[in-house]
Amino acid sequence: MARVVTCQTFEGRTVAFVDEVIGSGAMKEVYFSPDRSYIVAFYKTRPDPRARERLEMITGRYRESIFDQVGGDYWRNLFCWPTAMLEHQGRLGLVAPTYPGHFFFEHGSRNDDRLGIKGKEKEGKWFAAANLRNRFVDPRELGDWLGHLQVCLRLARAVRRLHMAGLAHSDLSYKNVLVDPSRGLACVIDVDGLVVPGKYPPDVVGTPDFIAPEVVITSHLPKDDPARQLPRRETDLHALAVLIYMYLLYRHPLRGGQVHDIDDEQRDERLAMGERALFIEHPSEPGNRIRVADAKPTELPWADTERLPFTLTGPYLSPLFQQAFVTGLRDPSQRPSANDWETALIKTVDLIQPCRNLGCEQKWYLFDNSTQPRCPFCGTAFHGQLPVLNLYSSRAEGLFRPDNRRLMVWTGQSLFAWHANSLIVPNERLAETEKARVGYFVFHAGSWWLVNERLPDLMDLATKTPAPIGGQLQLLDGQRILLAKGEGGRLVVVQMVEI
Amino acid sequence: MPIRRLPVYILLDTSGSMRGEPIHSVNVGLRAMFSALRQDPYALESVHLSIITFDIEPREYLPLTPLDGVNIGEIQAPDSGATFLGAALELLLQCVDRDLRRNTPEAKGDWRPLLFLMTDGSPSDLHAFRQAIPEVKRRDFGSIVACAAGPKARQDYLRELTDRVVTLDTLDAAAFSGFFKWVSASVAVGSSSAGLADQVSLPPPPPEIQLLP
Repeated sequence: MARVVTCQTFEGRTVAFVDEVIGSGAMKEVYFSPDRSYIVAFYKTRPDPRARERLEMITGRYRESIFDQVGGDYWRNLFCWPTAMLEHQGRLGLVAPTYPGHFFFEHGSRNDDRLGIKGKEKEGKWFAAANLRNRFVDPRELGDWLGHLQVCLRLARAVRRLHMAGLAHSDLSYKNVLVDPSRGLACVIDVDGLVVPGKYPPDVVGTPDFIAPEVVITSHLPKDDPARQLPRRETDLHALAVLIYMYLLYRHPLRGGQVHDIDDEQRDERLAMGERALFIEHPSEPGNRIRVADAKPTELPWADTERLPFTLTGPYLSPLFQQAFVTGLRDPSQRPSANDWETALIKTVDLIQPCRNLGCEQKWYLFDNSTQPRCPFCGTAFHGQLPVLNLYSSRAEGLFRPDNRRLMVWTGQSLFAWHANSLIVPNERLAETEKARVGYFVFHAGSWWLVNERLPDLMDLATKTPAPIGGQLQLLDGQRILLAKGEGGRLVVVQMVEI
Repeated sequence: MPIRRLPVYILLDTSGSMRGEPIHSVNVGLRAMFSALRQDPYALESVHLSIITFDIEPREYLPLTPLDGVNIGEIQAPDSGATFLGAALELLLQCVDRDLRRNTPEAKGDWRPLLFLMTDGSPSDLHAFRQAIPEVKRRDFGSIVACAAGPKARQDYLRELTDRVVTLDTLDAAAFSGFFKWVSASVAVGSSSAGLADQVSLPPPPPEIQLLP
């Protein structure tokens, strides 16, 4: 048994660790607390005074500004944030919560965990590459496409929170974000390198695959050259867009078939990620399309951008991908903000439909609005009656404006307070009372029904028939339903699509 | 999503002096390295391994194989025998010339290969060794690391091949496992955060290993 070392944090809290290194990275050595509820990590080389000051801010003021507020607890699941600093035998260290158990592989890899990854961290790369998913990762770990949407939502939300606080992560990558697609969870780790514009410059340029083109292009310049571009909020936004693209489409948005230098593969790589970076699905410049013929069988169908184009991510995410990888690739100010991604992802979740094919790997997909919709992943066609609710919200008494937002109905689907009122947003500020569903949909005896659980104002507007709590309303084509009265209250117009 | 291969060549001394505990320790270290690499999704996507052993003759023990297909048995060392390191380098050149995929205008080729060489002695075929060196250097390896294992290993010869020479004081399991752990970390380094100071560099070696100036 290794011995237990007890020491004090700078603010006088007693902490303990088992004197046995459990992990070692480039910068730190990590130890478990005796009950494994937190870790203590010591820097291998002493951080300079600025880095130390930054660490003090991260464990102090920045942490308090995020966690010690209303809704602050919400963020404990989205960040692994260091809580204190300490010094022991001349080494500077920090205390941080242990990653929750669901961020470690439960089943690991296929064939009875042949690779031996059970119990290891769920590094995002395992889930972001088609070949790794198809060949190695146990299907029970992979989750479904809805889980991946939720992973992206939580990731975008965490980044939005950092940016709102005036911070930038500076090294977002699948290594620094733990994900659990089987439960739709994500957690940003390694926040001790945070960048504060004008105050604490970055330590790193980022991780290959996620470094913004402007950083790659100027990486040869000295650090203090005014033209040198370093990680900041806008480069986080490039990394965020790449991560979301990879978690939804299992391929890299800039890694296509184009070869830029046939003699020097490192220069080719620099050009492909920097000066000549080109979206593999650029609408008018096809030069960097993936050559499907060169793809490994285990990379299909994801390598086939004709078959699975980025537009399968629906009407809210697709324009953001265009913005990130076409207009915003060279113009950082054009990149969608983390808030843009978060909003689009919330709206996208309302468009999801379960695939009729029980064997479908992705299980969920977005309706493409065509007359013959089918699951883009397995090709199974949709049959039957699909109610589409178009959302309108009240701007003034009796006046409802379209929200450019729809809710696709499936049986068992829930209706929530944020559907009934446009002023309620499903994020960290959501009150406990707003979290429970207010109604649900069910297909019964050939008709679609909305069952009212907690909507006091629910009413069919044409007939002025109220549907009291505990009652139900049959959904009909062209029907207008009031979900809630008052400011922000929503009205839906039902469209019955018969396929 | 064309993924470049990262070819990794490992040259292992199996001369007579390696027999017994040393070669056993090498096998243990190698196996630990494979399992560590397989747990790294980046390595699993890109790394291809080749092992060349050498004693009185060089042998292509493992032709260039994707990481997940690697299955090595127990590498043996004969009772006695010389250390034909020069011949091993010649075989390495043939293998590299045969294996390596170059870039073409249509397809991405391989990353620059990495070479790790371990010996516990000195080349018995010094002339061939010296003749092969300029050819090896012309092959543009991404990195060449030579490991002088044990008290009899001659570092000065290795330094003619590369300025990255590491030494292992002993030939036991701890020393080799430290070395192979370091090799595996070096191979996987491409996926980690890159520092502000330009080139990606090898991680600092573990305490058992001394990196010569």
